[in-house]
Amino acid sequence: MASVVTGAQNKRPNPNSTSAAATREGDQLIITPLGAGNEVGRSCVYMSYKGKTVLFDCGIHPAYSGVAALPYFDEIDPSTIDVLLITHFHLDHAASLPYFLEKTNFRGRVFMTHSTKAIYRLLLSDYVKVSKVSVEDMLYDENDIVRSMDKIEVIDFHQTLEVNGIRFWCYTAGHVLGAAMFMVDIAGVRVLYTGDYSREEDRHLRAAEVPQFTPDICIIESTYGVQLHQPRPVREKRFTDVIHSTISQGGRVLIPAFALGRAQELLLILDEYWENHPELHNIPIYYASPLAKRCMAVYQTYINAMNDRIRTQFANSNPFDFKHISPLKSIENFDDVGPSVVMASPSGLQSGLSRQLFDKWCADKKNACVIPGYVVEGTLAKTIINEPKEVTLMNGLVAPLNMQVHYISFSAHADCAQTCGFLKELMPPHIVLVHGEANEMGRLKQKLVSQFADSNTKLYTPKNCQSVTMHFSSEKMAKVIGKLAEKVPETGESVSGLLVKKGFTYQIMAPDDLRVFSQLSTANVTQRITVPYTGAFEVIKYRLKQIYESVESPPVEETEVPTLIVHERVTIRHESDTYVVMQWSADPISDMVSDSVVAMILNIGREGPKVTPIEEKTQEEMERMARKVVHSLMVSLFGDTKFGEDGRLVITVDADVARLDIKSGEVECENQGLRERIKTAFGRMQGAIRPIPKP
Amino acid sequence: MGTSVQVTPLSGVYGENPLCYLVAIDGFNLLMDCGWNDLFDPSLLQPLSRVAKSIDAVLISHPDILHLGALPYARKHFGLSAPVYATEPVYRLGLLTMYDHYLSRRQISDFDMFTLDDIDAAFQNVIRLKYSQNYHLSENGEGIVIAPHVAGHLLGGTIWKITKDGEDVVYAVDFNHRKERHLNGTVLESFVRPAVLITDAYNALNNQVYKRQRDQEFIDAILRVLRADGTVLLPVDTAGRVLELILILEQYWAQQHLSFPIFFLTNVASSTVEYVKSFLEWMSDSIAKSFEHTRDNAFLLKYVTLIINKSDLENYAGVPKVVLTSMASLEVGFSHDIFVELATDAKNIVLFTERGQFGTLARMLQVDPPPKAVKVTMSKRVPLVGDELKAYEEEQEKIKKEEAVKKASIVKVEEVRATSSHLSESTKGDSMVIDPASATASPKGSSHFRGQMDILIDGFTPPSTSVAPTFPFFENTAEWDDFGEVINPDDYVIQEEDSNHMVVNGKSLDVKPDEASVHLLLDSTPSKVVSHELTVQVKCALLYMDFEGRSDGRSVKSIISHVAPLKLVLVHGSAEATEHLKMHCAKHVCPHVYAPQIEETIDVTSDLCAYKVQLSEKLMSNVLFRKMVENEISWMDSVAEKTNEKVLTLLPPPSALPTHKSVLVGDLKLADFKQYLSTKGVQVEFAGGALKCGEHITVRKISDSSQKGGTGPQQIVIEGPLCEDYYKIRGHLYSQFYLL
Repeated sequence: MASVVTGAQNKRPNPNSTSAAATREGDQLIITPLGAGNEVGRSCVYMSYKGKTVLFDCGIHPAYSGVAALPYFDEIDPSTIDVLLITHFHLDHAASLPYFLEKTNFRGRVFMTHSTKAIYRLLLSDYVKVSKVSVEDMLYDENDIVRSMDKIEVIDFHQTLEVNGIRFWCYTAGHVLGAAMFMVDIAGVRVLYTGDYSREEDRHLRAAEVPQFTPDICIIESTYGVQLHQPRPVREKRFTDVIHSTISQGGRVLIPAFALGRAQELLLILDEYWENHPELHNIPIYYASPLAKRCMAVYQTYINAMNDRIRTQFANSNPFDFKHISPLKSIENFDDVGPSVVMASPSGLQSGLSRQLFDKWCADKKNACVIPGYVVEGTLAKTIINEPKEVTLMNGLVAPLNMQVHYISFSAHADCAQTCGFLKELMPPHIVLVHGEANEMGRLKQKLVSQFADSNTKLYTPKNCQSVTMHFSSEKMAKVIGKLAEKVPETGESVSGLLVKKGFTYQIMAPDDLRVFSQLSTANVTQRITVPYTGAFEVIKYRLKQIYESVESPPVEETEVPTLIVHERVTIRHESDTYVVMQWSADPISDMVSDSVVAMILNIGREGPKVTPIEEKTQEEMERMARKVVHSLMVSLFGDTKFGEDGRLVITVDADVARLDIKSGEVECENQGLRERIKTAFGRMQGAIRPIPKP
Repeated sequence: MGTSVQVTPLSGVYGENPLCYLVAIDGFNLLMDCGWNDLFDPSLLQPLSRVAKSIDAVLISHPDILHLGALPYARKHFGLSAPVYATEPVYRLGLLTMYDHYLSRRQISDFDMFTLDDIDAAFQNVIRLKYSQNYHLSENGEGIVIAPHVAGHLLGGTIWKITKDGEDVVYAVDFNHRKERHLNGTVLESFVRPAVLITDAYNALNNQVYKRQRDQEFIDAILRVLRADGTVLLPVDTAGRVLELILILEQYWAQQHLSFPIFFLTNVASSTVEYVKSFLEWMSDSIAKSFEHTRDNAFLLKYVTLIINKSDLENYAGVPKVVLTSMASLEVGFSHDIFVELATDAKNIVLFTERGQFGTLARMLQVDPPPKAVKVTMSKRVPLVGDELKAYEEEQEKIKKEEAVKKASIVKVEEVRATSSHLSESTKGDSMVIDPASATASPKGSSHFRGQMDILIDGFTPPSTSVAPTFPFFENTAEWDDFGEVINPDDYVIQEEDSNHMVVNGKSLDVKPDEASVHLLLDSTPSKVVSHELTVQVKCALLYMDFEGRSDGRSVKSIISHVAPLKLVLVHGSAEATEHLKMHCAKHVCPHVYAPQIEETIDVTSDLCAYKVQLSEKLMSNVLFRKMVENEISWMDSVAEKTNEKVLTLLPPPSALPTHKSVLVGDLKLADFKQYLSTKGVQVEFAGGALKCGEHITVRKISDSSQKGGTGPQQIVIEGPLCEDYYKIRGHLYSQFYLL
């Protein structure tokens, strides 16, 4: 059963712990949102399993500035992260990346799709330029962005990559150009991170794909909670109707939209509408974003990431080559003389051109403002949706809000129906909701709980820095291959071999097969050493026999020179009168044997040939010797000891007299205690001086 | 045990014929490539025709004729209906290549092997994949995973990795390990020890010159001619290697601010470059990088003019220029015509960048010494005039009358068999009759047409078993746009109004998103093919430079030995090259090298044994891994236990097992070891293949020739007299290994 625990750092495996420790707590999978937990903005989700760590997205919070806008990076140790995956180029998903890459000790690898990377560069440069904050509050500058570009690697949709045993690939997410959903596979446990996604195909983007495999965990956005989008044709009609009626009454239309993403979709709609309505041809449409203009090349290039409709059109002419829309550099170049349609950023009306135009036009009731997408809490755009009577202008003055405000969402986020449908198809056992305001998220959670009531699905809505812990009991399977696998063993039979682990796959093989099945190889080290020795070879043999059980000398005919083989390991060859050659194959035991042989040979040399063979003694002499030894030992133990006439030992201790028969070991004595003592002593002596009886 | 793998070449072994191989994996038939040659010789496809129906999937590796040319024909005539897998560029550029070849052929002959529709139909069920995408096959192929990887030869070029049960079969033909301007090098070297590697011996005997030197010579050769007022003809492929040449020229022209015009002339030139521009993610890192940083698309061409009509060149008749044009074989098409024009002038040069296919004009010109004169057939499609036109019109009139009769009969039949589907059938019948696609305008056209009419009549004699009349059904693949179905205005032209409208020049009138074919379609006057043979004096210079973008012989060998497959199959390459590479690999790579003949099935099932076990937690807690490069390795003693029918679990042994023979793991390179020793302050030098350490100690590696492919352990010998150094160096030697 999973639990929510506050304080990510307590649960995080200590980076210094050995791999053994990591395997023990390895079954625990931890997910911690560092941002976008019960909020929208600064998406950043930390995930760790089996000592592998993945970070999804790296955004900033658009409503804050400076360090406050960052996700809670101090909750984690950036140096432990293996892979960082960026889903799309929006600021709340990618804008803290230069900071994370350049200002922290992060050493892992970063991946995003081709088009995301191309736009990321332009978008962040623009972001750095327009965000007018003090130098201390600047998180990074243009140079950091350029440097970060070299560290970012690209991944194409469906391309499978593997880093440190973490396998991952991505699916189309449908949110903006290049938006991806990442599937991460660590040791067989799959986690899907959707990022922002949309299941609805629009004018230029494909709908999000449903992955082929069911993930074990799905980390999913919940921006729209339980809201439902109107069907796309209805929204488009409302949008064009509002614009048409406003300009036909002589008003101006302001569309505050983020420069990239939805803006391109809206421009496609407007261009097509103008094309079909010749009466509008004299009304200008402007998109006031140099950034969008710069990014047009990216849109014109990566058509293969878009839907078939665009690709078919592309064969004839570039659909992003607008006929009725012209770019607008700044408000100074804007000739505000009559009805017009202006699309300007930022989308939240915080500052910049959209705000300047808003301030200019808000008092006239002929004008209209169309808010085309999701607006973040705390921005002016969010405020005017509720149609207040008055608004505060940028110069601090208060002006009446007379212009019409329309909220027509073209936001390419999934709505409740899409989310439910998506999850129903996937049926992941664990669902983690992120990227949604607490209320919306809560409602969605309720809805999902009832939807998945009869299945075993678990839902989590962690706050920032709250960890979700899950356990996956993974069975380690290994493949026995090669010679070792020629026979499948029965119960009780032993299996011994090399266990080779690569990533999360295990193989067991015989040492000889290592080279066949892996890049590793084995080696045999043959050692050959010449040892000076001038004595007789027989002496070496004799000495060795004293130490080692197995000393063999193959017939000279086979080996040319006299040879000895010790324990079938070390070969000694008498190659010349002045030295012997020893040869063996390196391994700890052979090395030890060879060392002792070397030491022995050297000793022979030093001591010289003063070895005298021991004479064989007769049984009788042995017996005599034994008697002498026993006698002297008894003297040392008991004092007065003599040989009696009958050959028995007479031991006199104080008044007691004992007689010991050396041959049989019988003791005759009246004192019970003394008799036992002598008997024991004699037993021990016998053990010491006599050869061990043969079994 | 193991996965059964059989390889049967259908074409392209012991020679340079097109590539086409059948690989059966556990009974699932994969066709690797489906190539044809520039001459479209149907006899080459005989072996394919015998197996086409049993094929379950087709994997295409490169977008050129040699790799995919036979797809439309095989689909039409052999019933090859399996899904085709290819990367997006291979699909797109392959399609354009086929169009180009078709249009070039069509211009000078009544080419009827296949039509544009057949090409479209063949490419319709191509499943497009990304590099390193693991695609899981379903149904019969359950358990098989296919993945395309970068090959480097052409844009989108693929080496295929087919995996089943952890065993890899790698199909890598025409790869290039060198990074080029527009392509990354192949990733083949990252595959280690696949069960089977199928590769080509095409370049086994060729060694390339240094790349930069070659580029310079190339530019020099071109400039020499241009400065002498000559014209450079580069016969190229439609959408493959030409991209690299274009980039070389663009780059050099930009550097040197040259003003000589460059033309890229194919039937599909502008579409090709337009599509190529959108394939940046498939190109080299440097191209991707330059786009990310500055949004400069490398294929936004500044110096190369794209033309699709030879007449555009007429304005530049006397001007020195470079012309890149398709049909590298010089057999047909623009290159053929331009060659005939240029050949007679010694100022000009024909610069070949690839070896001509066997039996083509290009090949004839590449022999050494070049021929003084060649015979060529000049064919031209000319509009009918005078009597011929009259005769043709009369014939058309006759056909029309017949048609009317047929039509009446259609109506009659329909009346007789008035069914609920009456309406739809009659419209179908109508559209068919006036379908211009079926009306061929060549002099032979009438008989062709009659043939179709026969079919029409056949269709109206319903077989006794059928319930409703069956019509010969020509599938019109309807295209849709925002306004509904795309219609062909000609379908609605009233026939009697103007006979010229109906009499088209035999081109398919299906709306193609390709403006290249449009200029041919607009030309709707009746025409015929006029041929005459002439002998061309070859006075112009002829030069061959290798821009084929394939790894050369030496690299191929080193790549193969690095990949070190357990079994190796060699295909595509002259008999000589194949034998050479076979000998080489058998000696240095692996003992199992095969070079099968056409239709010879070889079994490359691996004789590998394997079974799965579960590692118990208890066992694993005692295992101490050592890290080595990407692997972690450890010795393990265990006892097996069958927990249930299937699963075998390994438990720690109850008592200590007898000690095993210790294993030294590691790869010793003497050169590295030398360096290591010198850092440790040991005097060390190479002497006679051995490493002399200090005064007396030598370390050497024994290369045992009986150990094929180096599958056995390395044999290292350390020898010397008993001294302190010996033990020191032995210690250093041991430190290079892991002892298990």
